[in-house]
Amino acid sequence: MVQPLLDIAGLNVAFHTYGYRAHVLKDVSLTIPEGGRVALIGETGSGKSVTAKTILGTLPANAAVESGAVRFAGRDVLTLPEAERDAMKGTAFSIIMQDPLSSFNPVFRIGRHLDDVMRFADRRLGRASKEQERTRQIHAVLRKVQLSDPERICRAYPAQLSGGMRQRVLIALALLHQPRLLIADEPGTALDVTTQDEIMKLINRLVAENGLSLLMITHNLGVVRQMADDIYVMRHGEIVEHGALRTLFTAPRQDYTRQLVEAIPPLYGPQVTDQPPVATPPIVELAGVWKTFRERRLIGRGSAHDAVRDVSLSIRQGEIFGLAGESGSGKTTVARMIMGLIGPSAGTISVAGTALAGTVRSEAFRRLTQIVYQNPGTSLNPKRTVGQTLSVPLTFSGLERARHGERITRLLRQVDLAPHYVSKYPHELSGGQKQRVAIARALAANPKIIVLDEPTSALDVSVQKNVIALLQRLRDELGLTYLFISHDLSLMRNFCSRIAIMLKGEIVEEGEPKSVFAAPEHPYTRALIAAVPVMAEEEERMKPSVSLEERRRFLVDAVA
Amino acid sequence: MNTTYLDVLVRRMIGFAGVLFILSLMIFVLARVVPGDPARIALGPSATQAQVEAMRQEMGLDQPVIVQYADYLTGALQGDFGRSLISGKPVMPEIMALLPATLELVLVTLLIMIAVSVPLGVVTARYRNTWIDNTGRFFSIVGVTMPSFLFAILLQLVAANFIADWPLLGRVSHTLDLPPGPTGLLLVDSLLHGRGDVFVSALKHILFPALALAMAGIGQVTRITRSAMIEHQRRDHVLTLKSFGVPDRVIIFRYLLKLSSIAPLTIMGLEFASLIGNAFVVELVFSWGGFASYGLEAILQKDLNAVMAVVLVSGFFFIVANLVIDVALLVIDPRLRFKEAR
Repeated sequence: MVQPLLDIAGLNVAFHTYGYRAHVLKDVSLTIPEGGRVALIGETGSGKSVTAKTILGTLPANAAVESGAVRFAGRDVLTLPEAERDAMKGTAFSIIMQDPLSSFNPVFRIGRHLDDVMRFADRRLGRASKEQERTRQIHAVLRKVQLSDPERICRAYPAQLSGGMRQRVLIALALLHQPRLLIADEPGTALDVTTQDEIMKLINRLVAENGLSLLMITHNLGVVRQMADDIYVMRHGEIVEHGALRTLFTAPRQDYTRQLVEAIPPLYGPQVTDQPPVATPPIVELAGVWKTFRERRLIGRGSAHDAVRDVSLSIRQGEIFGLAGESGSGKTTVARMIMGLIGPSAGTISVAGTALAGTVRSEAFRRLTQIVYQNPGTSLNPKRTVGQTLSVPLTFSGLERARHGERITRLLRQVDLAPHYVSKYPHELSGGQKQRVAIARALAANPKIIVLDEPTSALDVSVQKNVIALLQRLRDELGLTYLFISHDLSLMRNFCSRIAIMLKGEIVEEGEPKSVFAAPEHPYTRALIAAVPVMAEEEERMKPSVSLEERRRFLVDAVA
Repeated sequence: MNTTYLDVLVRRMIGFAGVLFILSLMIFVLARVVPGDPARIALGPSATQAQVEAMRQEMGLDQPVIVQYADYLTGALQGDFGRSLISGKPVMPEIMALLPATLELVLVTLLIMIAVSVPLGVVTARYRNTWIDNTGRFFSIVGVTMPSFLFAILLQLVAANFIADWPLLGRVSHTLDLPPGPTGLLLVDSLLHGRGDVFVSALKHILFPALALAMAGIGQVTRITRSAMIEHQRRDHVLTLKSFGVPDRVIIFRYLLKLSSIAPLTIMGLEFASLIGNAFVVELVFSWGGFASYGLEAILQKDLNAVMAVVLVSGFFFIVANLVIDVALLVIDPRLRFKEAR
């Protein structure tokens, strides 16, 4: 048998904090053949990233490798002298970091990062490189990741580049020394779908063109289908299933894998759910609404930015209205105007029959609309118990103190949490439970409308499925109206009764999901749908087609 | 980008002008409210009532308060803060003569503060929760809690008993003739005129007063640098560099240090105010003969005109220091410059 490029055998890693030992990797074994593309999938906390860090040698100080071996081209990197191991970093294997927004030091130029990585890697290899030479090499690699103006990129500070551009620089960083193994830790998950799609295509092409091996770490099973041939499924620090792409997705042997696969909302095909259309009078109406943000300056011209342009829409009572679009398209601004948090620059908004003028947050209005935020980890106050969090809206809606307990118990029951959760702090809850508390908080004021601002994007797919089912049930029971903001189109396809697509502050398409997905009219909608990673080849074929010219026109980060 | 610098500068300056205006108003009202008639203070207890009345007229105290304030403000804008009630001499020239001494002391103090506390912050962060960190923490707390005059006396005792020929009082040995101008800062002037003897003497004189003055700030800035370093150590961008094998010392001294200097720098601006306050006492201990001891004298003798001038001048320098820091922050942190990009 040919020697594999990477061979992890019986790896056990534990974390020690305050005398406690947490066994995070349990007997993990994994092999990557030369030129192979392997995916490691699993949900938050399953141990994927710890595996990557063990290979790279960047485990935190409180982690200990208790047994096992990580053999790279036959040599166990865990037992190598430190200098030899360091010499492999960025040259034998390198990593594509996950979050392009936080992976650069904000007060240094991009070029500084690239040059330092290159210089010290050269030095470890015993080569003294000249600065000019390095700059030439860096520019060449930047062009390879399709950043056409490398000089400008190097001069820029991280904050001056878009997320997609920064992600490309992170890829360039990994390619500076042509490593043999590329470890990609959920690249692009922090970015928009279309950008993520372009990034995946780019990584795929670079891997193929340069004959690299790839270890893809991800929780997105749709991505895996495009990016890997061999798949390892990880759960609670263990590899629970391993198999080739085709057999694993179509015939998973383990229940857990099956659950993961089934939890993904389908984009096309017989499994798609159609929400019944709603024919009730509208509860929210926007007519010709504009919102312009201006920068105030004393000297020089402040820039003005139209966040929302001429948006007209109406949301019917009891509807689940989906507002789709990429970051910066104006979705959240529309939602904030409907909530009365900010006033429109022009146009009219009326909610439940009352016209909104400016930022009116009267008592009555406050009860009308509530919001569930994207990340329950940050939207709940860590210093307050669930009960304390829930009693705030209760007080505002004028409920007397004595009756809070009873109402909180009912709220918790409505979101499927046991009454004893009232005394728990957020850190004692899982992500899904926290989001349930956030939903209960929104319900507390007896609202008619709830704004759901990407309520499941911070959650794992299996949890997402339950939260969505809960939201659906609550709508039916309480007769709520939802404004669902998201960029997850496959979720919206199944959950919304009507959707609108926003691009640069304008609504470019609107209709029932069934018809929008079957025959998207606007090229941007087509591009957006085409970028969604799907689970099956049949779905892939049912996606609309987009011409290269259209992609270039509407997507900032299009790959040539 | 240039307009951003200018925009921030002009905004700050307008804000600071407002602060100075309010400060002048408050100190003026205060000076008129405190018991004691300025005319009586100026003339002393033996003057007759008629003499005092005449003096009141001469000083404009018979005018409505608004007019008095307007007169005072126009004078102050032209650098005229009236005459000392005690000596009868104009206040401003005296302050201008004493100001360089205090300025020099404060600047050297700030230098010592940076030179000691930034490396100390880095080291205690690097060896967090070890004996090094704990020792650092202990001395930080000592530095913050002990009043600076205590340090001043302690250092003086050390110098007197253990270091031969170490100067205890004054700015420079008075056997030397001093170079004329241009800044009035001895360390700078002596270098400009190539006077090594004056430089060494001035340096010896200033070292202990500045050290005493710096103690409290060193404690604070060390702690802030340490927590900023620790905070940023956990960030993804450090992991990025580590994953590619960039050495720890480069990560710490290049990448983390610049990022971690933002917080202590902001504190420095506030520190400046307490420095001037503490200088009042430290100058006294070391017979420094600066602007601060002049202020103290003025307060004790109820020389209201001098007090007002001292308050406004130190307020002015506090504001200039903060302006400098704002610009420095703009240079260090590009994100402040690109805020319009969002």
